[in-house]
Amino acid sequence: MKKMINRRNFLKFSSAGIASALAASTGLVSWSPRAEAATINQTFVITEGFITQPDGVDVYFKSFSPNAASLTVPGAQIIVQEGDTVNITIDNTLGTDHSFVIDGIVDSGIIAGGSSKTVSFVVNSAGSYLYYDGLNAPYNRLVGLHGAFSVMPSGSSNELYAGSATFVQQYSWVTNDIDPAWHDAVRLGSAPTSAFNPYYFTINGRSMRVPGHPDYANPDIDSGYAPDTRLEGSIGDRTLVRILNAGMCIHSMHFHANHVEVLARDKQVLSDVWLKDVVRLNNNLGHTDVIYPFDPPPDAHPAVTTGSFPMHMHDEMTQTAGGGLYQFGAATTIKFK
Amino acid sequence: MFKLDKAVPMMGMGGGGMGGGACYVYPDAPATIGKVTPDITFNRSAHMNGSMRMDDGRTVEMWGFSSGGGMMGGGSPFPSPTMRVTEGQIVHTVLTAGSMMQGTHTIHHHGIEPSQQNDGVGHYSFDVNGTYTYQWKASHAGTYFYHCHTNTVLHAEMGMYGALIIDPPEGWGTLYAGGPTYDVEAVWACDEIDSSWHSLNWTAGTCGGDVGLNSLNPDYFIITGVDGAQSALTDPGVAVTMNLGQKLLVRYITAGYLPQRVNFGGLTATVHMSDGRALPNPIQATELETCAAERYDCIFEPTTAGVYEVTVEYLDWASGAVVGTARTRINVN
Repeated sequence: MKKMINRRNFLKFSSAGIASALAASTGLVSWSPRAEAATINQTFVITEGFITQPDGVDVYFKSFSPNAASLTVPGAQIIVQEGDTVNITIDNTLGTDHSFVIDGIVDSGIIAGGSSKTVSFVVNSAGSYLYYDGLNAPYNRLVGLHGAFSVMPSGSSNELYAGSATFVQQYSWVTNDIDPAWHDAVRLGSAPTSAFNPYYFTINGRSMRVPGHPDYANPDIDSGYAPDTRLEGSIGDRTLVRILNAGMCIHSMHFHANHVEVLARDKQVLSDVWLKDVVRLNNNLGHTDVIYPFDPPPDAHPAVTTGSFPMHMHDEMTQTAGGGLYQFGAATTIKFK
Repeated sequence: MFKLDKAVPMMGMGGGGMGGGACYVYPDAPATIGKVTPDITFNRSAHMNGSMRMDDGRTVEMWGFSSGGGMMGGGSPFPSPTMRVTEGQIVHTVLTAGSMMQGTHTIHHHGIEPSQQNDGVGHYSFDVNGTYTYQWKASHAGTYFYHCHTNTVLHAEMGMYGALIIDPPEGWGTLYAGGPTYDVEAVWACDEIDSSWHSLNWTAGTCGGDVGLNSLNPDYFIITGVDGAQSALTDPGVAVTMNLGQKLLVRYITAGYLPQRVNFGGLTATVHMSDGRALPNPIQATELETCAAERYDCIFEPTTAGVYEVTVEYLDWASGAVVGTARTRINVN
């Protein structure tokens, strides 16, 4: 599934290389609350390489990977609980400076090329966060150095925050917009000089495939089947989706078959829960948390309880790859089992 | 033709009679599952020969849906004719599309949540090649829109959309059952047009290749099919004329792809609904920032006669910079 190529010793992956992330965490996180706070240890290895996009073009990325032989974009999801102590060791195998930042929680400062650093912190506020490299902003973040960090309320398995609407399963989606020219500038160690012009659009590092394409339904490649992205549920399986924008563009997340309950935006709990079929996702670390209720689609006649539907961005440029290939962009499938 | 559970993509066939071919479209026109006698029927046929004359004198090609099935009448309107139904009704939308000239199309009733077969998303069901009857039930009053979901990035930009309004049982004049009332109504579908996309074939990009559909660089900014540079200031289908003491409902539809910021020119909106659902608590707003496909239902009760100039700014999706502006007016006598 992975292959090494001898191009400046960069790793090269089809997006199948991302599969390694799933060993660390899957989308269907079964979270067991603990009575006592715990100590959570995680190691990331910063690596670089190429990931093949839907049109066959290889684009340069860096990532917080589980080991030196992988390239995991985004980095593994981390779920902790309020009160936990988190120790994260970052091993920077590259020649460039990097950092590990969670806004309001931790900033490692410079981790020089070839060095390692461990940051320790206690998490106090339940919610959805992005961890990312804050150096060379925004470029290091855009080229893949980011991932989802979720904090559960103390002792709770079914709330976003104490007293919130409840859910039975949860996912994190990290979105990104990819301008190959910018990624290549980062590879060369220079600052991009062209206006931002994204050609690829991803959720959790993957783009959509459709029936008839050889990679359709391949869970390692197709965002419509990747288990950390595809929403699956039976009627009543209320599903929390934490949506974090690592990219540069404001997006419009359109859910088919059910309206979602919008619980939080940009780190703010919303006092009124609106029911929306389109949810705004702000750019540059914007965020929103929604619950997809898995209610029977209300306008079906005759009534139905099963089916497959899309979630896609409605700023439809995001539904392309390489300037065309509609349907090969930032979307996934909602499966009513 | 093809069965739903194993959709077969149409690959490499000549689409629209000119190069490029069509990939990853799923032509079919099956029978509607569980078809019943509807309470109301809309006939729509896809057309690709419409146009819009801009204030600078240019004419831009537009596509859409005509009322009337098959080849019958209906012209080539933009936007497509409004569908208006009453909560509780069973609706049939009968779409006729599909030919070598006109390609395949679908109708997705945006915000309506029917079965997979009736959701009108090509790659989850089929792209209509012939005539298909979408069957759905209008469960929630509010403001929606319908649009083509085949090669959507292009077909919706080309204008293949129209308003969809569900009235509560009380009928016209009430926003939702037991909700606020209105005396005057306007539908503002705000959209931006990149005219460089408007000479593309219906299949553009579907087989790959860079046809520029990742990058929208609009040069026209419109409100409900009327150029917002000048015409929308006075066009009777867009600009509002009302009397003091009346209540105005604006159904605001973000029909384009870019974020929008609408300023109501000194009036304050009470926003009662969004996306076809009542807000738990209405909000007051002199300005709204919206994103693609969002709808907001805004009620105005002006207390002073005058001319209020409404400004819609279209924002770059990355920088947030204003890339264009459309204007209309609320004239309060």
